[in-house]
Amino acid sequence: MTEPLFEVRGLTKRFRGLTAVSNVTFRVAAREIVGLIGPNGAGKTTIISLISGTLVPTAGDIVFEGRHIERLPAYRRARLGIGRTFQVMKPFPGLSVLENVTVGALFGTGGGERNRTRAEERAREWLKFTGLERRMDQRADALGGPDRKRLEFAKALAMNPKLLLLDEVMAGLTHVEVDEVVELIKKIREKGVTILVIEHVMKAIRRLADRLLVLHHGQQIAEGRTDEVLRDPRVVEAYLGKRRQ
Amino acid sequence: MNRYRWLALPIAAAALAVVPWFTSDTIVQYGINALLVATLAQAWNIIGGFSGYPSFGNSVFYGLGTYGTAIAMAQLHWSFGSGLVFGAVLGVACALLFGIPILRLRGPYFAIATLGLAAVMSAITATVEIAGKNIGLILPLFRGDTLFYELSLILLVAATGTVAWIARSRFGAGLVAIREDEDAAQVMGINTTTYKVAALTVAALFSALAGGIHAYWITFIDPASAFDPSLNVRMVIMTLFGGPGTVLGPVLGALILSAVSEVLASQATGVASLFYGIVIVAAVLLMPKGLLDLVQGFRDSGWRYFVDNVRRYRI
Repeated sequence: MTEPLFEVRGLTKRFRGLTAVSNVTFRVAAREIVGLIGPNGAGKTTIISLISGTLVPTAGDIVFEGRHIERLPAYRRARLGIGRTFQVMKPFPGLSVLENVTVGALFGTGGGERNRTRAEERAREWLKFTGLERRMDQRADALGGPDRKRLEFAKALAMNPKLLLLDEVMAGLTHVEVDEVVELIKKIREKGVTILVIEHVMKAIRRLADRLLVLHHGQQIAEGRTDEVLRDPRVVEAYLGKRRQ
Repeated sequence: MNRYRWLALPIAAAALAVVPWFTSDTIVQYGINALLVATLAQAWNIIGGFSGYPSFGNSVFYGLGTYGTAIAMAQLHWSFGSGLVFGAVLGVACALLFGIPILRLRGPYFAIATLGLAAVMSAITATVEIAGKNIGLILPLFRGDTLFYELSLILLVAATGTVAWIARSRFGAGLVAIREDEDAAQVMGINTTTYKVAALTVAALFSALAGGIHAYWITFIDPASAFDPSLNVRMVIMTLFGGPGTVLGPVLGALILSAVSEVLASQATGVASLFYGIVIVAAVLLMPKGLLDLVQGFRDSGWRYFVDNVRRYRI
């Protein structure tokens, strides 16, 4: 593996008695797509929140481009180049689609583009890229499901992130829409963005991820190349239950 | 037509500026009050309308401006200018000091904490020797309504200019993002704490200056009138009525509502006391996004605008 873009060592998060994430360690190389899979409640979203800074880890290190970031507030991490989407989508509901994405361009990596006109131009490009151009002037809360997901993407992309954390962006999409989003994510990687993606849609994860990290009850039960991990009996068991003898 | 739209504001300001030379003393006195209240509404707009933090502590900043100016002039015998600065420093210091802990709270918790701040400040002032305890202070008498009128107008123009800048700036985009979804704003790289405290501080500055001008004009102040929570309620109503988060909404809202309430107070005293209550209920039900949105919405969909609002917010 080449020099990792970022690395997580012994990451642990306890909520009172519950250990949501326990001693998780992995590395992600630049331009890699790593899938984070596991049953519901395995701690996947918690890991993304710990990396993006929405949650503070109980223990462990998060190293991004050689720098410890586990104690930095979320906005500082965003400025270093970490963008995320939310599983429960968080558009700015009362703003237009264009305004939503402009916020990403105005802030984000390195503090963003400070000039509002230029930030708006940049936002338009991302709207084109995500296929939302014709919805530009609509209010974000007027968008339908798939367009809302596109908006989550566009907002995060406008931040110009080096690392993009995607939290279940395909849930609730039709087959055709899943294919579209898979293509979109591949296009984003071609732009040089590293991606950590939580996904339940197996068909999508198989086509996207170079490597997989499997979580179960907050523990890391497997890690490796996608095809190998998906054949691992422990992974099959965690997902489907034990085969009866 | 649109090319000349920006001219409308300087023309309106100039028209307001010459009012004292063409009207009666009563109108000028009413004008001072209306302009100061419009400034307060505009200041509330920055923290309440743009950042979405419903502050009930703005009357504290106003009160501190009032007392700062009064203490400086009545007790320390400073000039009016230094008094204004002193009052503004107190207001801004209060916003910086209490803003950081209080702005960690969200929604109704924030509102209640600011309400508490107002009660505490009023109580403290009533026990401080230099602030005249609960009797209050008398400032040197200065008759010059025209001067106070022009000062109030300048302050309102400055506040509105600041809001116009905020509305177009990166700072304003950050505040609006915080209002719409604070968690999302933070992971997009917005230093939410600094932004909120900055918004509250700017609001405090204009509120305190308005308090200072009012103190010297009215010449007598006491804790009950300086820290009057109903003044804060008026700022909220006027801003919501005109259009929170817009540049001109709070000014229009304040000027219209003060005019109507002034007329009612002299013509129909019974109705006058009910007036703000009725306005807030009607505004929340029929035009929750304010006057400016109403104008736009009415043009687009006529009377249906009201029906749509009632339906959308399921009242």
